[in-house]
Amino acid sequence: MYRLILKMAWKNSFLRPARTLLVILMIAVSMSMMLGLQGLYDGMLKNMIEKNKRSDSGDISLYAKEYRIEKDLKYRIKDADAIKAEIEKVQGVKGVILRIKADGLISTARKSSFASIYGIDLDEEEHFGKFSEFLKEGENNLKKRGAIIGLELAKTLKVRIGSKLVFSTQDSSGEINSIALRIRGIVQTTNISLDNNALFVDIKHVHKFLGTTSDEVTQIAVMGEGTQIYDTLKTNYPNLDVKSFLELQPMIQQMQDMMVIFNSITFFIVMSVVFIGILGVMYVSILDRIREFGIVLGIGMQYKYIRLQIFMEAIFVGLLGYLGGAILGTVLLIYLRDYGLDLSSFSDALEMWGYEAVITGTIKVSYFTSTFWAIIAASCLSILIPLRKIKKLNPIEVIKAEK
Amino acid sequence: MFDFALKNIFFYRGRSITTFILTFISTMLFVVFISWQDGSHKSMLENSLKVYTGAIEVYHKGYRDVGGNEYLIRDVKAITDRLSNIEGIEDFAARYETYGLLSSKEYSAASMIAGIEPEKEKVLSSIALALREGEFLNEGSGNCLYMGSELVQKLKLELGEEVSFVGGASDDSFAADIFKLCGTFKTGSFEFDSSASFVSRSYFDELMYADNKASYITIKVKDLDDVDRVNRDIIKALDDEDLESLTWKTLMKSMVEAMEVDNVFGYISLSLFLVVIFFVIMIYGFINVSSRIKEFGVLRCIGLRKANIFLLLVYEILILSTLAVAFAGPIATSICYYYSINPVVIEGIAEMYKDYGIVSDEIPFDFNLFTVSWNIGVIYLLNFLSVIYPYFYINSFRPIEATRHV
Amino acid sequence: MKKILYILIISTLLYADEASEIMQKVDNNIRGKNIYMRLSMKVVALGHERIMKMENWSQGSKKSFVKVLYPPKDKGITFLSLDNQMWQYVPKIERVIKIPPSMMLQNWMGSDITNDDVVKQSSIVEDYDARIIKREGNVVTIELIPKEDAAVVWGKVVSNIDTQTYTSNKDMFYDEEGQEVRFFLYDKVKKFGEYYLPMYWRVQASDKKNRFTEIILEEVVYDKDISAQYFKKSALKRFSR
Repeated sequence: MYRLILKMAWKNSFLRPARTLLVILMIAVSMSMMLGLQGLYDGMLKNMIEKNKRSDSGDISLYAKEYRIEKDLKYRIKDADAIKAEIEKVQGVKGVILRIKADGLISTARKSSFASIYGIDLDEEEHFGKFSEFLKEGENNLKKRGAIIGLELAKTLKVRIGSKLVFSTQDSSGEINSIALRIRGIVQTTNISLDNNALFVDIKHVHKFLGTTSDEVTQIAVMGEGTQIYDTLKTNYPNLDVKSFLELQPMIQQMQDMMVIFNSITFFIVMSVVFIGILGVMYVSILDRIREFGIVLGIGMQYKYIRLQIFMEAIFVGLLGYLGGAILGTVLLIYLRDYGLDLSSFSDALEMWGYEAVITGTIKVSYFTSTFWAIIAASCLSILIPLRKIKKLNPIEVIKAEK
Repeated sequence: MFDFALKNIFFYRGRSITTFILTFISTMLFVVFISWQDGSHKSMLENSLKVYTGAIEVYHKGYRDVGGNEYLIRDVKAITDRLSNIEGIEDFAARYETYGLLSSKEYSAASMIAGIEPEKEKVLSSIALALREGEFLNEGSGNCLYMGSELVQKLKLELGEEVSFVGGASDDSFAADIFKLCGTFKTGSFEFDSSASFVSRSYFDELMYADNKASYITIKVKDLDDVDRVNRDIIKALDDEDLESLTWKTLMKSMVEAMEVDNVFGYISLSLFLVVIFFVIMIYGFINVSSRIKEFGVLRCIGLRKANIFLLLVYEILILSTLAVAFAGPIATSICYYYSINPVVIEGIAEMYKDYGIVSDEIPFDFNLFTVSWNIGVIYLLNFLSVIYPYFYINSFRPIEATRHV
Repeated sequence: MKKILYILIISTLLYADEASEIMQKVDNNIRGKNIYMRLSMKVVALGHERIMKMENWSQGSKKSFVKVLYPPKDKGITFLSLDNQMWQYVPKIERVIKIPPSMMLQNWMGSDITNDDVVKQSSIVEDYDARIIKREGNVVTIELIPKEDAAVVWGKVVSNIDTQTYTSNKDMFYDEEGQEVRFFLYDKVKKFGEYYLPMYWRVQASDKKNRFTEIILEEVVYDKDISAQYFKKSALKRFSR
């Protein structure tokens, strides 16, 4: 019996092939576009978060208590090496690095600007956040007074690879000290504060320049997911300022929330319209065959089988649409992930706000699963009204009546 | 044909109603969304402009690139006289900005100190509104300093305390004075709040020898949409090669581009909705047509030409769309209009977007007839496009075939 | 063959050595063991001119104290440079201010000389490698290239030195691309015992024709005992009167 119903449902779905194909096409196109859009937005956000974490705070950062407010070199973490070794032993921690930062003035023969110097260990940064991927020009080399400069800062000072700069600041004893640096590389981290202000210099060099010991730093950044690590660190170091990524960047938290809301609204609207589409088609296709159903009911077929058949028809259409959408969507998402959407004509603004000029998408399984259920739901709901019509059928009347 | 179309619409109620509803929804969606997007951009813009930058600013050429006393405007009165006749300018003021060292007892910081006309600034910018503690300036404030809250914190100052100032006067000679902190402000822009201080010009000009001089003249226009036209009038009236008059579009270039980016994304999202709606309208149209195959076959057999059939379809969709738009248009328009006057207030949005320069919790909609019209035009176009495939479908049947269609 | 190479090497070294020797002598002339100057500075800009008069006590290359005498509104302003730090006292507001790094590149009292110049007078000898590039009669043109780790912004400095007096008649400062950014002109060399000093200096940015600073030395005394009191922070207020 069920096999028969299945066959009937399949054949009936394609009674008017053009009509059915249109619906399938509609579902496929809408779904793939929506997936593409979601992928794009999520990709943008993910990108930004990731870059931020890699270039700056990691998942968690530790600072001396007053540092974030005062931003003064005198608030630094002591015994940093020991702390680093301890943190590395905590379960789940993937990387720990030390950085020392000082604000000051950077000058060329013609121009000067406010900037910050970051003492980093290039090898460790590479391991921590793949620093070399930020490199836009030049090379990742901090030897011999080398410095790597943020893109926007390089533009402001009009410097190139090989240019010489002089950085002045107050060192740890309050005295003004200057250091000559040569640009070896230019980076674009899309972390605005870094691209506009940062000079990366070898940490040993910076220690010497600032008169600090290698055990003193302004920031310890930790890569490692999970609230457990956060709690552990908070308990272990009550005298330090332990902050998670989202605490340091509340704006990104809000962006995430907004993104979820936006994607949900889009999803809802698109699925509602898809529902209307399927509804229309099912309704008409059932109405077309009302005589047929009447006859079938009249010769003794049970209502529940009719209901099942119609249900299958709707599911077929939905599933085929979903399949088409999934394939198209996957293609689109893969394209967006690998090639991205090229918005380079807006690159200035994008870079200023921390985005890349080419936006890559991301792929999440949830896109496919949630759409799947939505389409199934739409298909099911769409047949409710037509079914009622059938239920109320009086077989005799139907046979008599003209369509 | 037209009457025929009308009859068909009433006969095939299902399709008509759905098409009507869908067109109605899409029109509403399109118009309201764009209006909201434009409105929020405009408000973002106005809010950031309101903070300090003017809608139009007049500079001596070279000041913006190089700066310094060499490129000061030296005869402010001559310029302001010429400006007073221009239609569209709400108000203007001449600001004298300089950079110097401000020191409290233990701390010092480099800061921008601007000599302003306090009464004018109340209209032109929102620095008076951003008052946090103490009071804003007035003509007779003397050596009162109105400082950004972050800078106040950096220098660890209290209201009423003395602040020493060291810098260069407009002739490059050495200038020093002691100011008193009379008020603090917080605009929400960290950069601005940590590097800006204001003094009344009547006092500052004496110290700086800056009487009748200015770094630039800031201008507020009555209507932001008119800004280009007003700027052209200003350039004509100034008639001076050494001066340049720039609108916010140049002054706040990155904001302009950010808005364009936002627009792009908005349109992408919108086109997703429209594509889906287009499909559904087409499907309904198609279904409707495919159930009338027999009818069309008969019509063609009795001599109705293909062109007329097309016309019939067009009329049908025209009537439906126009009806839907006739309802949706005014409703959407009134919504936009209403909300442009009484903006939507979402609590807390100001906090969130502080760094982008949004200062208030309101989200106004933009009411622009031109935008609304082309929005509606697009919906119309989509509706017409939706009959193309059905039309070809009909023609794919030979008339005799069609009459026998089940 | 080897011999020629040997001679070439020696002569280059000698040349280089000679160049640094020359610069050392020039530097010595400017400083002596200590030096007292009274000078007037004229800043010409935007069509008008400003005149300032001041006194300067310097010891070696790291200590310097300046007191402004004229114009009356600036009288009593004092500056102290010790090593790389600079302080200023302004009697009008009765405050001592330490000049932060951000102000070091600002012009000193509105002239074409920066605060940094005033503080870093020593750098010519310590921070640069000298090389002779031309000889014309008594005038030797020396090219000074900053040492790798010298914290100076210039790409190179070129000086024309008169070897009879070991004073420069022109110093040109170039950026990294080799473009001239500013120059110093010196004239009216006078003899003070074993020292020579130009009494007229002019500083100008190379791309500005109508803006420059002129310094005329009115009184110069070398190697007289200068009290150590001048080079303490207390000097700022004390000697302001």
